Formats: sequence, C-alpha cells, structure tokens
Amino acid sequence: MTFPQVIAHIQKSLNYTVFDSKWIPCSAKFICLGNYPRGTGVIQIYELQHGEAQLIKEVEKPKPLKCGTFGATSLQQRHLATGDFDGNLNIWNLESPEVPVYTAKAHKEIVNSIDGVGGLGIGDGAPEIVTGSRDGTVKVWDPRQKDLPVANMEPVEGETKRDCWTVAFGHAFNDEDRCVCAGYDNGDIKLFDLRNMSLRWETNIKNGVCCVEFDRKDIDMNKLVATSLEGKFHVFDMRTQHPVKGFASVSEKAHKSTIWQVRHLPQNRDIFMTAGGAGNLHLWKYEYPAKRSKQDSDGMDVGVAGSVSLLQNATLSSQPISSLDWSPDKQGLCVCSGFDQSVRVLIVTKLNLV
Amino acid sequence: MQPLKTTEPSPFLLNTEHLCLVAIETDDFHSNGLWAAGSPTAYRLTGSENLPVSNTVFIKAMSGGAAHQNPVWDSSRKVPAEHLDYGYIEKCKDVKYLEKILRVLRSGEEGVYSHLTEFCESHLEKLQPKSRALRKETSAATAASFSKDEWSQILQELQTWEEDTKRTDMLLKQDLFDDLVKSKMPPVRGSRCLVSPSQSLFPEARKNPSKRAVPRGYREWDKFDVEKECDNIDGDVLKKDPPAILDTQHPKLKQEADVSSLLSQRQKLLLANREKDKGNEAFRAKDFKEAVTYYSRSLSILPTVGAYNNRAQAEINLSRWHDAMRDCQQVLELDPDNKKALLRRATVHNHMGNVQLASEDLRGVLRQDPYNIAATQLLSKIEEKMSECQLEQEQRSKKIFIEEVEEENSCSMKELQTACPAQPSQPVGGEERFAAPAERRDMGNTQKKPHSRGDGGPHTESSNSHHHGHWKSKGNSPDKYKVPQESKEKVANGSDKRGSTASVPGDQNNSSKGTAGGGKFEESANLDAPCGALPPQLSRLKNEGNLLFKNGQFADALDKYSQAIQGYTDSGLDSPQDLCVLYSNRAACFLKDGNSQDCIQDCTRALELQPFSLKPLLRRAMAYESLEQYRKAYVDYKTVLQIDSSVQAAHDSVNRITRMLIEQDGPEWRQKLPEIPLVPLSAQQHRREEPPSAEVLQARVEKAAREAERRADVLFPALKQEGNDFVKKGQYRDAFGKYTECLKLKPEECSIYTNRALCLLKLERFGEAKQDCDAALRLEPANKKAFYRRALANKGLQDFLACSSDLQEVLQLDPSVQEAQKELEEVTVLLRQSLADGSKEHRRTVLIREVDGDEDTTAVQSNCTGAVSINQKPTSAYDFGQSLNAARCSGNTEACAELLASTSPEQLPRYLSTQLDGHTLSFIMQALDSHLLEKNPNLVYQHLHHLHTADRFTVVQLLQDMDTHHHMTQLFEHLSAVESAEFTKNDVQNLANKYI
Repeated sequence: MTFPQVIAHIQKSLNYTVFDSKWIPCSAKFICLGNYPRGTGVIQIYELQHGEAQLIKEVEKPKPLKCGTFGATSLQQRHLATGDFDGNLNIWNLESPEVPVYTAKAHKEIVNSIDGVGGLGIGDGAPEIVTGSRDGTVKVWDPRQKDLPVANMEPVEGETKRDCWTVAFGHAFNDEDRCVCAGYDNGDIKLFDLRNMSLRWETNIKNGVCCVEFDRKDIDMNKLVATSLEGKFHVFDMRTQHPVKGFASVSEKAHKSTIWQVRHLPQNRDIFMTAGGAGNLHLWKYEYPAKRSKQDSDGMDVGVAGSVSLLQNATLSSQPISSLDWSPDKQGLCVCSGFDQSVRVLIVTKLNLV
Repeated sequence: MQPLKTTEPSPFLLNTEHLCLVAIETDDFHSNGLWAAGSPTAYRLTGSENLPVSNTVFIKAMSGGAAHQNPVWDSSRKVPAEHLDYGYIEKCKDVKYLEKILRVLRSGEEGVYSHLTEFCESHLEKLQPKSRALRKETSAATAASFSKDEWSQILQELQTWEEDTKRTDMLLKQDLFDDLVKSKMPPVRGSRCLVSPSQSLFPEARKNPSKRAVPRGYREWDKFDVEKECDNIDGDVLKKDPPAILDTQHPKLKQEADVSSLLSQRQKLLLANREKDKGNEAFRAKDFKEAVTYYSRSLSILPTVGAYNNRAQAEINLSRWHDAMRDCQQVLELDPDNKKALLRRATVHNHMGNVQLASEDLRGVLRQDPYNIAATQLLSKIEEKMSECQLEQEQRSKKIFIEEVEEENSCSMKELQTACPAQPSQPVGGEERFAAPAERRDMGNTQKKPHSRGDGGPHTESSNSHHHGHWKSKGNSPDKYKVPQESKEKVANGSDKRGSTASVPGDQNNSSKGTAGGGKFEESANLDAPCGALPPQLSRLKNEGNLLFKNGQFADALDKYSQAIQGYTDSGLDSPQDLCVLYSNRAACFLKDGNSQDCIQDCTRALELQPFSLKPLLRRAMAYESLEQYRKAYVDYKTVLQIDSSVQAAHDSVNRITRMLIEQDGPEWRQKLPEIPLVPLSAQQHRREEPPSAEVLQARVEKAAREAERRADVLFPALKQEGNDFVKKGQYRDAFGKYTECLKLKPEECSIYTNRALCLLKLERFGEAKQDCDAALRLEPANKKAFYRRALANKGLQDFLACSSDLQEVLQLDPSVQEAQKELEEVTVLLRQSLADGSKEHRRTVLIREVDGDEDTTAVQSNCTGAVSINQKPTSAYDFGQSLNAARCSGNTEACAELLASTSPEQLPRYLSTQLDGHTLSFIMQALDSHLLEKNPNLVYQHLHHLHTADRFTVVQLLQDMDTHHHMTQLFEHLSAVESAEFTKNDVQNLANKYI
C-alpha cells in the first residue's frame, strides 16, 4: 500500500458554526474562527496534547469572524489577521487577544476571504494582507499603514459589483513582484499585478469561484488552482502566458458538489487537497508535461498543461468542509472544519513517497 | 442546528444547491487541456446551458423504442436491461458506455447485482484504469486500516513532533530580533517615492494624495500608465530619484537570500530548508536552473549537505560539470562518506572524461552499499566505455599482432579495474585532484573543456542526453567546439611562429574570452598582422575572414577565404602551409554552413598540402559524420587520435560511431573499414606544456605528475606497438627491450608482463619468464595467458607439478584453450615419468596422485583414512580444492580447519567458487565450528564474511539440506556467543541473515 491514507485523527464537536481553521506556525496549536448562535464571533485556540485537541483559549468578539491568516506576520509575533461579517480587518495578538493590534474598516460588507504574504519567511517584500469582500472590492493592506489600503481593486462606476469569494497572494519571489488573484461569484478569475498596478490576466470558468490558491506564494508563479461551485477545479500553469490565450489549464471534475477549498501541501507544491460540499476530501497530484511550453503558429510561447491524478479520497461527513489547512511544520498534518460544527485533525500518511 | 442559519450566511451557500443540478447534467463534459479562454463577456448563464441538455433527454425518450435495431449504441442513450449482462459487458469496448452501465448497476435501478457490478468494474479497469467511474468514495482511514506497527509508528511520529514543536515554540518566543527584521523591511507600497520610509507618511501624503493608494477600478488599472504616474510623483517630490524602482524590466530572482545575519540559528535552518524544498520542487518540475537558484539561496542562509548535494545533481542535469564537481567536493568535505555525493562525482568525472576517477568513486559507493543499483549500472557502463576506448586505441596495432599478443586487449581493460581498488580513494586525495581541473579552467585556453564542446559540432547529443537548451543559449560563441589546444593546432598548421591570436586559423575562440558576449575582440586592430609567407593583402583577407568567422558570419568569412585562396594561386607563391590553413579555414566555414561536401573537398586539399594536420582531419571527420559516411569519419577520427590522443571530441565521436557501425555492419564492422593510415611518429604530437602557475606550488607538482602521466600515455602505446612488431618479426630480444621500457613507464600494465614473459620464454629464460607471469598474476589474478605462460616456464624449469597446476588453472578459466589441454596431457606424461624414475617429489604426494586420476580421485583416498597428508599451504584454487576434497573425503574436519586457517579469507571465495556444493559448505561449517572457532573466532568471522560472496553460494544456499542448515545455525549461535573487538553481535546477526 503505497498510496497515502487519510486518517481522521482527532474530531472535536463545537458549539458554534466554524468558518475557518488555521495552524499557528511553528507550534502544535491551531485556531478556529466562527459564529456563535447568538450572533457574535469567536476565536478558539486548541493545542494538540497526547492525541487530544485541548482548548486553551477562547475569546468572544462582537462580530462573527469569517476568515483568518497568519501569512503577513513574523514567526515571533504570529499575529492573526481576521476578516469579519461586518467588513472589518483586525489583527490580533493571540497572547492578549482582547484588543486588536490593528483594525480597519476594510469593506462595506462581509469579508469573504483573506490572505497574507511577506511574513513567516514566506515571500520576499513587505508584509501585506489582501481581503476580498461581497462589496466587490479586493484590497491590499499593509499592517504598518493605518486605515487605508495600499491597493484597491474595484469595479468601475456603473459596472455591476460581483461578489468576491476568494483571494490569494502569489508571485512574491522578490521585493517588488507580487500578484493577487481573486475569484468571483460569476466565475471570473482576475490576476492583479501589484508591481505594475495592472490587471494582468482574467478568465471565466463559468461557475462561481470558491477558492483560488497558488501552489506557492513565494516563487515565480508556477501553478494556480481554482475550484468552482459545480465541483470542478482548474489547474493553470502560470509560467507561460500567451498574449491571447493566457495560461494553459487542465480541469478535473472531482466532487459531485461544490469544492470549497483547495490547499497545496507546504512540503510539496505539486500535491494538493480539495475539500468538497459533500464532506469529502480529495488528494491530488499534478504531473508536469514533458515540456511546459511550446511555440504556436505565430511563434509565441504557449503553456502546456499537465495532468492531475487522484491519490486518495476520504469522506468525513455529510456536511460541506469549508476550511482546510496543512500544518506548515509537520508534513501530512492537517486541520479541517465543516458545517457539521466540528473541527478535525487529519493525518495524511506517506506523502513523502508520492 | 442548521449551520446555514447564521445572521449573514456565507455567499457560497446561497447558490450551491441550485448549481449542483447543472453539474450533474454536464457530467460528461471533459475539458482536459481546454483553454480557459475569454473575457467575462464569454460568460454564459448556467440557465441557458440547461436547456439543450433537457432537450437531449427528451429525444432520448423518443428514440428509446428503436433501440433494438441499432447495434451500435450511442453512449448518450439509456442503457437497456439486456446490456446488464456478463457477455455483453465482456465484449463492450466503449469505455463511456461501460461507465454508464456501471452507473446504472450501482444505482440499483434495475436491481442489485453485486457480482455483475464487480465484474463490470474490473472490466472497465482493464480498459481504462484511470476512469473516473472507478473512483469510489472511501471513508477516512482508522487504526484498523493499518498494521499495529504502522499505526503506532504514525502516532509515535506525531507525538515526537508535538514535543519538538512545543520546544521550538517556546524558544521562538524568546527570540527578540523582530525589530531588527522589521527595520530591513521594504517600505509600504505606494510610499516608495519617499526619501525614507521612517519619515512620517502623512504630511507628504497630504501634499501628494495620488501617492497614497487611491481606490481604482480594474478598468482603470488597465489604463494605468506607470511611467507617467511615476514621473508625476517624482517630479513633485524628488527629481533625482531613480525611476529604477518601477522599471519595466523583469527582475530576476536573487541568487542570495537576503537574510539578516542576526537571525537565530533555528530560524535560519527553517528558512534554509524552505528554500531547499522550493529547489526540490523546481527540480521535480525539471526546472533545473530555478532549482539551482533556490539551492544557492538555501546555502547562502545556511550551508547544508543536502542542499549541496541537490545542487550538484541539478548542475549535472544542466551539464555544469565544474560547478557540480565543486558542490560534490563541498559535501565530501562535510561528510566524506556521502554516497550520493560520491555517485554524483562519479557522474561528473565520467562526463569530464576521467573514467578512472569515476570508477574509483563508484567503487567507493559500492564499498558502502554493495547493492547500489545506480552505481553498479554506471560502473558497468564506464567499464564498457573504457574497454571500448582501449579496443580502439589498439585497433590499429591489432592487425600486426601475433595471435597470442592479440588476446590481451581484454586483459588490459581488466587491469584497469583491478588497479583501481589498489589506490584507496581517500576523500582528501580526491580533493587535490579536483583542485587541478578548477584551476586549469581559470587558466583558460590551455585546457580543453569536454563540456564546452559546443553547439557547432554534431556530436553533443548522444553523450549528454539531458542537455536542456539552457546552456545552448549560453554558449554564445559560435565555435566553442575546438577550444582544445590552441598552441598545438598552431603546430598542426605550421603556423607556430606567429604570435598573434588573430593569425590563428579562424575558429579558435579563446576560452578565456569564451564568456564574453560575442565578437568584440581586439583583433579588429590586428587585421594587418602578417601571416606566414602571405603577402599583406592576402593576410589581411585571411584575418578578416577569421574575424568574421568568430562573429558567426560564416558566409562572409567564406568569401574572404575564397578570395585569399584565389589571390594565392594567382600570385604563384610557394607556401603550402599557408594554403593549407586557408583551405582548412574555408572548410570550417563550409562545415558551419552545413555544406559538408565542399568542406570535405577543402579538407582533402589541405591534407594533400600538409598530410596529417589535425584540424582539416577533424573537420573532414565531422563533415563525413554529418553525411553519415561513418566509416570514413571513423578513419579520420582515428587518424586524429593517432596524431593527438587527447582530442576529446574525437574520442567521443569515435565511441559514437563505433556504436553506429556495429549497429550497421554487425560484429564484423571492422573488416569493412577502409585502412586507417599510419601516422608517422614525427607527426604525432605530445601534449603541450602547460604554463606553470606561479600561485600554488602543490598544483605545479601535481601538474608535473600529470604531465609525466600524459606523456607516458602517449609514449606507452608506441613502445608497446614496437615491441609487438618485434615479436612478430621474431626479434624477441629487441621486443624484450621495448617491453622493459614500457614497464618503466607503466609498471602496472599486466599485458606487458605477459608479453615480456613470452619473449623470455622464446629466449628460454624461464626463471625470469616465471617472475613476469607472477607479476602479471599479482596484477590480475585470473589472467589465463599469464597462467599458461607460467606453465610453460615451469615446464622449462622441469617443475611439472607447478606446470600442471597452472594448466589446470587455465582450463578452469577457459576450458576451450586447446593448447593448454595438449600441454596438460604432455605434462602429465612427463610427470608420470619423473615419478616412475623415482625422482621423489615428496612435497605434494597427494596432489600428484590426484593429477593422475584427473577428476574425482578423492575416492581413492577415502579408504586410507587418517593418514592423509594434506597440502596445508594452498597457492592456487586447484591446490585448495584438492586439499579440501581430500580432507572432506576422509571426514577430517581438523585438516579442513587447518587448511582454512592457512587460507586468507579474501581468497576463499575465489578458491571455492566452482567447487562449492552443499556438502562442501556443510563440511566447512563443521570445520569452522568444531576447530577454528575456539582458536580464532575472528578468522571464522572473516571467513564467513567472505564465503557468501563465492560464485555459487546462492545456488548452494537454495539447495542446502537440513543438515547443512543445522550446522550453520549452530555455528552462528556459537559465533554470536563470542565476544570480540573485531565484530559485534549485530554483525554476526547480519551475516547470519545472509546464510540462513
């Protein structure tokens, strides 16, 4: 049996709706963000202790918390940036989470998605946080600048505002270069180049884009995975951009329901897990083609997409799994939470042998 | 509770159910490799997509009745019940339809048939193993899915990680470098144009609101003119501020990771590993350049063995041999026994042409891990290569060899192998050797670089199959190909008197300048440099041609050369050397232009003027090769090698062409070759002197050694050749002299010893002949020729016993040697006579009798129990075998123990090899157990350690009976009870595993 196995190591039932769960880098702890039935938000910190997840801290917040990231903080501080239902961006010091260390009224409506880069030694350049909201805007924040975003991507006046469901950083391989990818409810995927402040590429995958992620944030952009509402996901090879055709991609129909999340294994960028609306997880591997680019008839370079193969799948619940996070420190360790109001710690074995 | 009942439900939830329906309908839509084309306008509403789908459903229902008449099933149709049948499924080849059947079967619409479903699945798997229909939902694994060991290992691992990471967590909190790191951070976006990021943002911002990120729409971003914006800002604030911050040029990934040196060791390790991981990923994606960059970054943070090792591999894949070599060396400095590094260094050596060093490294690997497949494969490949080179080097001489001398090609190759282990490959010693290539590279043009053989010649493909275009783009010089030996080529063209580089025939691109962009050479000032006996206008033409050639303008260069040649013939000069050079250069132009025919013509003309000049030959060879006239190319390359055996390109090409010819003509390809002209000694060139380096004395000494070696390389075959010639003419005394000289150059050459032995035999100097044979056998213990000649020498010395044992040895090595057979018969008779004469040969009574009976004489012994005298000092496999047999037949374990005690463990497998059988093994075990173990357990261990390497051991082991097994178990039990400094219980256990 050389295939990886997914083990549901720990399962913990919660008394609130959990939206996001994240490992705290360089620790055996993870956080859960969510929404109490009474309409308030909550941050919980759990620690793995002898095969159990022990709750070590719980803080209630006035607004339900939708999403969080550690991507823009240093390894010492490990501050958590969250977005809430009211459109606020907050950064919390988890040692004293009562008062935020940074706060901004980022959006008019719910912050659907958040991502960070420049911290944790991942990605060169300034620490930045990007938020995407139902109000249709995508904003980039620097924790060193109060109140105002350092970049704002919003539709022009008069155009319908699409609901932005997901944002992700990438291409941050030196101090200047950086890209933000955003996915919208109408299937639009837009890639903003923060260096040139321009829209670099856009496409439409026909169904709402639930999650986008670069395989790595801190390299010359390599691959982008976008998952969609109807259970399909697309892998774009981001190395070769054709002026007309854009990026080559391969798509795969995996789940019979929405794919809520995609997360690349931090230890191997070509392996990723998708989390589906039917409570199942699929582990995939991307295989590169023999040549990643070729010349088209006009002598332009066009990318060549590879293929994806399913390594393993596991059904954990009947409810959607809405968040998934690999431990950056331990290969194969992963936390996921779903709408069955529980959080699970998973172990995926034999990832080093894939 | 219902999770969706939050005050603000997630936006995703609203649409999910609605769109899931669409998903199912469009299920068969495979869009692999599809371009995600278009703009938002291309977006269609999902609703409109639904319509045609439902239409087909309707049509399907309509045509359902006619289904029976239609033998070919449209995969969009509904599956009729008859198709849910073993027979039908077995015959069905339509994957899509099978998937459909499977779906129906699984749904249970037509009833549940679990066997049929399984059958359908397995059939589908046969047709398309990756079919999506075969994907089954599985639940998460639990402890029950694993064996107990695996499960506890998983938990254990997690536990350890938990503890480790908690410790790291604690320590991280104590680190207080955060502020320092922060101060190095790049400024906040949009505030870049400020003088210093530490200055307050706000006053500036108010003055200049455009600087702060103003919300923009993406349409606006499209039109955003960076330069203009920058100018605006710069114009306001700082005119002098360089606009480089927002330059449009794509910035490169930095080679060095910019890490504050104040970072703690822990963090550094973390970062270094992360960079290494990125390198690994890039490597897996076959982006080796990027991989090298990331490994370099990792190393700049914290040097680790792994990163060096990986970088070496990536560099190997990029064919950057010298860099790879440096990295391997770094690893071996940190960890002298690193197998991977050794293996990689061997690969590098192999590609750089140092087969000797490569095989040495590989042996180092195999010493640690005898089952390393990669090493074994590479080693055998290298040996093949070595033997091929050897064969070809001697190919010419073969024709005039007398038959006996001819055979020795095979031994000289073996000699290389056996010679290698003799020199311990200490890593320190290795380093010194490396210093040389690296250094020489710096010295530039004197050293040929096998790896820079360049893009011009047709011969890069085969040997370096993994070139990835990268370096081609780097090889900007059009003709790196013949970087070798500039000075030497001057000799070849008779132009050595001229100093200026410009006068060197066109294609020389000094490798010292090789990296310089292209063609901005100082020679342009030198256009009027005089060239030999050419009148000024012709030398000018020639120099212009050279310059043009260097710049890659081959057609123009061709014109110039043609003019020069025309001018030459018109002027009626008499300087064949210069004309030869002109033709040769024009040939180079032709070659570059792919005009092989004309190239050959010019080369031939040049060679008529100056026979055996190197460059025209080489060019002609290349031209022939490109015309696929391999035989001619082969001959030319061989001639080149005779002139100068160090032209790497020629070596490579010869190897390649040999393969081609063997493929083309079969094993007799040599007979179809045209004759290879003999190059007179005067034309053969010795390797040029290398300018002494003023820097390192050691390097100089080393170089001198190399020089001598190289000279020996050249001189040696010539001497040997002459020796062989003399043998052929029957002038054995002269041949003896030549061979002796050979041995002065290379005392390790086994074949020379055997050849000299032959001369001595012919001269009837048997004692010396025997000594030579002994020397040969020391170098190569299985050399049958040496045995045979020693037998003859022994015969001459009237030592029939030794003679017969030598002959037996020969026959054992190769039963088909008829001379040996005949000789043996003769000697046996002689031996009998000498016995009958009563000349007492007491030393080896047993042996003599056994020789009489020849084969299984031990039966004779069996009745005379006890009193057998056994030869306890075996000198050959034969002696040993006889003694062992004698002891075994008499059941004398003590004698056997003594025999084993006097045999060195290393020799044992060789002695035993062919005679090993179950009984012998059992007998040896008993002897070891009962007698030797008490006296000398270390020796027992050594014996056992070597015994299992005997040739037939595995076979014997398979066939062993209970008794043997019992003896073995006993022996190992006893052995493991012994305490010794030389081996541990573990060693014994490992050994026992090999036996039992």
